[in-house]
Amino acid sequence: MGEEGTKGTVHLLCLAASSGVPLFCRSSRGGAPARQQLPFSVIGSLNGVHMFGQNLEVQLSSARTEDTTVVWKSFHDSITLIVLSSEEGTSELRLERLLQMVFGAMVLLVGLEELTNIRNVERLKKELRASYRLIDSFLGDSELIGDLTQCVDCVVPPEGTLLQEALSGFAEAAATAFGSLVVSGRVVAATESWWRLGTPEAVLLPWLVGSLPPQAARDYPVYLPHGSPTVPHRLLTLTLLPGLELCLLCGPRPPLSQLDPQLLDRWWQPVLDPLRACVPLGPRALPAGFPLHMDILGLLLLHLELKRCLFTVEPSADQEPGSPEEKVEDAAQRSQVPRACYLVSGPEGPGTGWRLVALQSGPRRLLLLSAQSPTHALRGLATHTLHALTPLL
Amino acid sequence: MMASPISCSSRHSPDELPGDPSSQEDEDCDYEDRVSYSGSYSSASSDYDEVEPEWLDSVQKNGELFYLELSEDEEESLLPETPTVNHVRFSENEIIIEEDDYKEGKKYEPKLKRFTKILKTKSLLPKRYNKKNRNDNELVSILKHQSNQKTGVVVQQRYKDVNVYVNPKKLTVTKAKEQLKLLEVLVGIIHQSKWSWKKSGKQGSGERLVVHGLLPGGSAMKSGQILIGDVLLAVNDVDVTSENIERVLSCIPGPMQQEILYHCPVSDASQKLKSVRGIFLTLCDMLENVTGTQVTSSSLLLNGKQIHVAYWKESDKLLLIGLPAEEVPLPQLRNMIGDVAQTLKFMYGSLDSAFCQVENVPRLDHFFSLFFQRALQPAKLHSSASPSARQYDASSAVLLDGLPGVRWLTLPQEIKMELDTALSDLEAADFAELSEDYYDMRRLYTILGSSLFYKGYLICSHLPKDDLIDIAVYCRHYGLLPLAAKQRIGQLVIWREVFPRHHLQPSADSNTEVFQEPEGRYFLLIVGLKYYMLCVLLEAGGCASKAVGNPGPDCIYVDQVKTTLQQLEGIDCHINERLTSSPSPCLSCADWFLTGSHEKLDNLTTSPILSRLPGTSKVATSPTCRRILFGDYSLKTRKPSPSRSSGGSDNGCEGGEGVGLSPHTIPNALWKQRESQGSDGSEESGALLKVTKKKATLPNPFHLGNLKKDLSEKELEIYNTMKLTSGPENTLFHYVALETVQGIFITPTHEEVAQLSGSIHPQLIKNFHQCCLSIRAVFQQTLVEEKKKALNRGDHSGSTNSISSLNPVKEYGVLFECSPEKWTDQRKAPPVMAYWVVGRLFLHPKLQELYVCFHDSVTEIAIEMAFKLFFGLTL
Repeated sequence: MGEEGTKGTVHLLCLAASSGVPLFCRSSRGGAPARQQLPFSVIGSLNGVHMFGQNLEVQLSSARTEDTTVVWKSFHDSITLIVLSSEEGTSELRLERLLQMVFGAMVLLVGLEELTNIRNVERLKKELRASYRLIDSFLGDSELIGDLTQCVDCVVPPEGTLLQEALSGFAEAAATAFGSLVVSGRVVAATESWWRLGTPEAVLLPWLVGSLPPQAARDYPVYLPHGSPTVPHRLLTLTLLPGLELCLLCGPRPPLSQLDPQLLDRWWQPVLDPLRACVPLGPRALPAGFPLHMDILGLLLLHLELKRCLFTVEPSADQEPGSPEEKVEDAAQRSQVPRACYLVSGPEGPGTGWRLVALQSGPRRLLLLSAQSPTHALRGLATHTLHALTPLL
Repeated sequence: MMASPISCSSRHSPDELPGDPSSQEDEDCDYEDRVSYSGSYSSASSDYDEVEPEWLDSVQKNGELFYLELSEDEEESLLPETPTVNHVRFSENEIIIEEDDYKEGKKYEPKLKRFTKILKTKSLLPKRYNKKNRNDNELVSILKHQSNQKTGVVVQQRYKDVNVYVNPKKLTVTKAKEQLKLLEVLVGIIHQSKWSWKKSGKQGSGERLVVHGLLPGGSAMKSGQILIGDVLLAVNDVDVTSENIERVLSCIPGPMQQEILYHCPVSDASQKLKSVRGIFLTLCDMLENVTGTQVTSSSLLLNGKQIHVAYWKESDKLLLIGLPAEEVPLPQLRNMIGDVAQTLKFMYGSLDSAFCQVENVPRLDHFFSLFFQRALQPAKLHSSASPSARQYDASSAVLLDGLPGVRWLTLPQEIKMELDTALSDLEAADFAELSEDYYDMRRLYTILGSSLFYKGYLICSHLPKDDLIDIAVYCRHYGLLPLAAKQRIGQLVIWREVFPRHHLQPSADSNTEVFQEPEGRYFLLIVGLKYYMLCVLLEAGGCASKAVGNPGPDCIYVDQVKTTLQQLEGIDCHINERLTSSPSPCLSCADWFLTGSHEKLDNLTTSPILSRLPGTSKVATSPTCRRILFGDYSLKTRKPSPSRSSGGSDNGCEGGEGVGLSPHTIPNALWKQRESQGSDGSEESGALLKVTKKKATLPNPFHLGNLKKDLSEKELEIYNTMKLTSGPENTLFHYVALETVQGIFITPTHEEVAQLSGSIHPQLIKNFHQCCLSIRAVFQQTLVEEKKKALNRGDHSGSTNSISSLNPVKEYGVLFECSPEKWTDQRKAPPVMAYWVVGRLFLHPKLQELYVCFHDSVTEIAIEMAFKLFFGLTL
């Protein structure tokens, strides 16, 4: 390795901190899962330097080469995660959050107890296989951005109130407070209790549902990394329409069988049309016909208090705006608060390149990617767009 | 080499009286062993019979000279306290003892005492220092530490301090044989006690260790400084005699730390970093293997503090610098390690020769003690100036110290010409003793070029960019530029051999037609006089005669440079004028925009656009929309002023992307003049405005042409009052413009900033520089990628498809809001002022970087501002 072929590669290593035994290694290349793995000796050295420092009370947290960033993080003195990324524009912040999400995903599926108190490494390895799909979806290119923003990816349905009412009614009938509608990993509607779920589970649960192979119904045990890391809950999912799933989070009751077709019909048949309208929403996030300026190639709206975000790169997916998020955050200082920020990039010359603008207003933060607007018009565009989006989120 | 976040602590010998002036002197000059110099005072004029220059005694045996005489007022002001000018070595107090001192006797006692004192201050055993007398005078002393595998052995002959490489590993090899004396095995000194015994008679506690012989190939012989007949007085600060020498030598630590060549300073944190050096070495090796690129930095937590460590790999050596993240952000650290490497290479040729030669250790100690001070206590370095200037220096150093350029002061043409002529005359070296005809022999040096600084600003340079930057980085490192800011220099003479990369790089072009650099040697001569400092780069070899040995400064050249400076003394009043009323754009103070003091702006500032977003459309927003370019969100301006509607609307916008506007360009010079004239509000500008108003989008070039004629006589005035921002108010707070091709940058002078004062403004300046540092880090990434792209293009053309990539970033703006720190009025919310920090990178036609800070009320187009700033900015 070395000379070529490391571009855009991400390697994620998970090791048992005490023994240094690798629990799993996942890689992706060019946004897709890859088989190519690091040689064992490299894995050993990567873990070795970190352990060596730890023994001498020096915590190695990151290292950078000209094109690669490595981040180490250990969790509960039991699990060490290492990520090595040569993706263009990767920031440390992004990798740190990635590791947090990965650990969250591990807890979500096997529970904290298993991870902090490793009795049988081989068994743990097997159990962790269940999390590969979810973890791979963090490593690769995803249409979702919640792993970076730590906000729940949402879409805005055209008739949200109808769906909201149906959801609340159904959840009540199913004797749980936690219910949500998820379309391709994004939340369409959710009960109040669901919204109160902490991070990272609020982000992880819809993400998990989106990453699982399609099934009519599921009864899936999950640990909530923040709310209930040691006691499992049940995640019930019911596919209402292809791609649109109803999720419930509950204790031992009710059994899945109790959610019979009759109950479903009663609550969801009346809102079938609004539901249908939600299915294609996925990547666009905004209801059809929402007035957005022609110039906007991509959009990310964060509500930092509600911890929700809208993210879309609607016209064509190949112009994804990377992850501009960290650039907004790095200039923060106490008495001098950043409020907006923009970035002009791409080749020089008229009509080419991209403009990225970020705007902060109260709890909302908007990022826009635009191709055509002149620099000085960016802020106007952003202000206008944010104003238009404010009622939605 | 590793460095810790703890600043260098000073080394006062434990038994030294704090106020003792003589010890002060010792400290000032003890960092290098100096030997009286007299031989290499060779110049074309051996018959030079004037009074010897006062610096002559300060020349070291390797030819180097660092001679500084402060001006009289400066010395007076320093008298009551100990000097804080750490980078200054006083030269008058030599510790040179003449031949006849080399005998025992009472007269000799005080000197000996003093000598041991010096030795103690230079002790190599770290533990002792940390316990004792860590005093507050950290600026003066020079750190001296040596990694353990090289043990300094101090040998006395004229009280020499000699560093000798000692490797206890040798013992394991030789142990099998008979019990050899450590002194011979390790140091290579042969001392025959019997023989000595007879001669010198019995002494109380062991006898003196006279060097009777040197082991061939031994460390002592290699050092070349230990001679037969010398007496070994102390090893590592421990007094030795024949009785204890074996024990002392046996305590020298083993070779386990052999891989460390140099290490500075000595502190707990640094020891800790040293103990985990395995991490750095492994990372360096492994990551390079895995990724194919070199490690640049790593971050770690030590005692709850985040520390960044920067890497610099050269051949098989690795240079590491670690500093606390809190004080030095990573992008700054990366620039710093680059500068360190560059400076060391400039001074020593390569990092190898800088770190691998034992005699360089004290110089490196000094070098890095300066480095850490600059990194961690930048404010202390600028102790001379007023508090405001000091604050400005400290907050701008973050950015400015890392720029590949020199601070430039634009001067009016006549003055510039005068300076150019003076420097050219000097460089021609065609007068009296310097001319070849005079002695009918080759001259010693060719003057490659020179650059002139005034109060730390570059005002004239005839050096290639690389040389200029090499020299500027050297001056910056040794604190020479701020030195001249206040009149502090009585006389400064610096001479040393240097290794400018520009001349020493092997030419890539093998074509013989192309100019080939001669295989010469290069010398840097810096002469300072009052506010002036003139740096001259000399070449030996090539056209001039070859340099032999380590030539010291040549009197004729020094005098000639001095004369040039003296010639220029007359015009410093003109330059001073420029400093206070700089031709660069006028600045506004942030505080004016904050309170009601600037009524006009009240509306704009108290309700910044972003905070009243929901339901905003009715409220008058900032007059940004005056440009009409805001097409789709056309909120009405309050009261578009006439000058705005005209001045603004016809500004060419970027590449013609304007909405509802047909952009065009106006000839550069006219545009600039018109703009500056417009800010004057004079009659001409009024006329001009009418013109442009009538033809809102296409001003008649002929009118402008006429106008130009009228203006030409007023050129100077216009030059004086250049307004960078558009709109009636001057909304510019600060700027930095870097011209990479020439290696210069301009930024407001200390005088200009001092005129503004204010309470918010200094904060703003600080924030501006920090923000710019982040922005510049993004630009640097852009440049790296551009370079890669260019390479790829060369390899296989057409394979570049970076369309999906967001790089390269060329403009980056951040809007900040700030409010007064102390706001006592409970009823009202504190006023808020919003300002932009915008960075812009220009790749074409030449590499330029611009950073500006302006009030939010007017939307500026960075390109326009850059255009105005860079116009006429030439060396």
